[in-house]
Amino acid sequence: MARRQIKTALNTRLSTFQKIYLLLIAGFILGPFIPLIIQSFAFRWAWPDMLPSTWWLEQREKSLLPLAWDYVLSPYSRVWEATINTVFIGSVVTVICLAICLPAARVLAREKFRGKAAFEFFLSMPLIVPEAAIGIALLMIFISLGLAGSYLGIIIVHLIPTIPYMIRMLTAVYQGLGRDFEEQAMILGASRWQVMRLVTLPMLLPGVVAGALFTFLVSTNIFLLTFFMGQGKIITLPTLLFSKIAGGTLDASAAGITLVVTIPGIILLLITERFIKEEAFGKGFGN
Amino acid sequence: MTKVQLKGVRKDFGSFTAISQIDLDIESGELVALLGPSGCGKTTTLRMIAGLEVPTYGHILFDDDDVSEVPVQDRNVGMVFQRYALFPHMTVEKNVMFGLKVRGTPSGEIKQRLEDILDVVQLEQFRHRFPAQLSGGQMQRVAIARTLITNPSVLMMDEPLANLDTKLRGEMRRFIRELQQRLGITTIFVTHDQVEAMELADRVAVIFDGVLAQYDTPEALYQRPNSVEIADFMGANNIFDAQVSNGVAKTAFGDLQLDTDTKPVRDGTGRVLLRGEAIDLLLGEGEASQNVITGKVTAREFFGATVNYTVDCKGETIIVNEQSRRMVDVGQDVWLTIQPQRIWVIQDAA
Repeated sequence: MARRQIKTALNTRLSTFQKIYLLLIAGFILGPFIPLIIQSFAFRWAWPDMLPSTWWLEQREKSLLPLAWDYVLSPYSRVWEATINTVFIGSVVTVICLAICLPAARVLAREKFRGKAAFEFFLSMPLIVPEAAIGIALLMIFISLGLAGSYLGIIIVHLIPTIPYMIRMLTAVYQGLGRDFEEQAMILGASRWQVMRLVTLPMLLPGVVAGALFTFLVSTNIFLLTFFMGQGKIITLPTLLFSKIAGGTLDASAAGITLVVTIPGIILLLITERFIKEEAFGKGFGN
Repeated sequence: MTKVQLKGVRKDFGSFTAISQIDLDIESGELVALLGPSGCGKTTTLRMIAGLEVPTYGHILFDDDDVSEVPVQDRNVGMVFQRYALFPHMTVEKNVMFGLKVRGTPSGEIKQRLEDILDVVQLEQFRHRFPAQLSGGQMQRVAIARTLITNPSVLMMDEPLANLDTKLRGEMRRFIRELQQRLGITTIFVTHDQVEAMELADRVAVIFDGVLAQYDTPEALYQRPNSVEIADFMGANNIFDAQVSNGVAKTAFGDLQLDTDTKPVRDGTGRVLLRGEAIDLLLGEGEASQNVITGKVTAREFFGATVNYTVDCKGETIIVNEQSRRMVDVGQDVWLTIQPQRIWVIQDAA
């Protein structure tokens, strides 16, 4: 019901210009997918044709090898293996990242200490330093440690670019939380553990969910670091996709794989959106 | 029913001293306001009584037991935060039951006490709502119910009326007052607003810069402040330098006869405080006999029920406040008069 109210409110409040503007933005985001989808069903699509001259289904019977979606969904493409790897690595990275960042964010949001500004700067270093530099440096170390080509190695390097995002997001949530709620719970007689379980964690949930979603998405999209550490032994969706399009051509099966790559993120987004928009959290805390 | 005492309490945060030294006795069942400008240490004092801060020196006693080191969970106090701090992910019912749940009270008893307290604060029909679906006054009632259900020995409130609009303010004031009287619970609240302190409290402790400046009834603070700072903070605007001799105050606008029974005075310098509503404003000269000050109205402010006149008297500006039964025009010559017993003199301690 609340959602419908928001919708009507939006409709009445937006001017025609604002509506057109929103449509344009939606077009920029969704537009590129249209040729991609068409391409995934094409057999031959050459410039300047508006649509493919030959469709995949027309060639399906004639070809000896699986084409387009037949190829993508066949074991030859290794799409299934890459998807499992991607989701597994993404999930483990998200959990470890949360465990590291929750306590850190609490301190950053609430305490003042010497060198805090410098510390915050160093936290964002991985976002500034090129991935290739980090990747090559770490690869040398990981090879000697025997971590290269292992899941553990990939998970560790994925933590490097995800921790800065997660810390930032959780710090913001912690700042919004305020001490009042926890102090109130303590005054009402709650032990430390009860405060954490009954008050802090449920109230942080929207931020935790958003941070986890973001971490997962970043992790599933990292190509270079995965490529270095995976050593070709462990493939994920981005590395698989790269090997497909590295030749410079985008054929139907590459387009299909590209579409598959977007699926985990979309599914996750749909699940988490429910969480974040929950009635109790939709409106502000306290006042 | 708990008596609260602060004995030589001091609180330092690193090199910053929030409270230099406070001694305060709060009687059992009394409603006391801690009043002061922001940053004066009143909130720190409240937090120390609650157990959220530990005093650097001194002791806090509940019924003569030293509780300074007792952790907040075991102190059995109640606190209503300024922004209520209702848990947004719990319904009204769950919020109210929280204190009993975490203490492991049997569920039968929780149910019973929940019904009782919801009845007291008249929130039965809102029990399944979330805090975000309540108005400010309802949220405050939930916060009060959540605190009272645990039977705290002391109830504390941070700026209880600050977040409410004028109409609700009166309603909540009566509600809090009546509830406090009925339960006889010792209540301490913090405010920076002297009106809020006067309208609620039995006694008001004025705190300036970490020191207790005056601890008295609202009426005494208003009529008989013991320093110019307190008078100023309590909203007084007519404070003038004077030379006191033989029960007469000589001021720039004339001599004022004092009533030495109301306030014993010493000869020497002092400051006279004339409350705006204690001054009569007359349009003819012959009507008043003593303490007559001549002047001219220079400005008028209309507040509905009352009017403020700014009167220029030989270079000094006196504000007169009266019921708006008539309107005196700006520029009119007027005669002000004040009874000797309504004049308050502030003199530095000898």
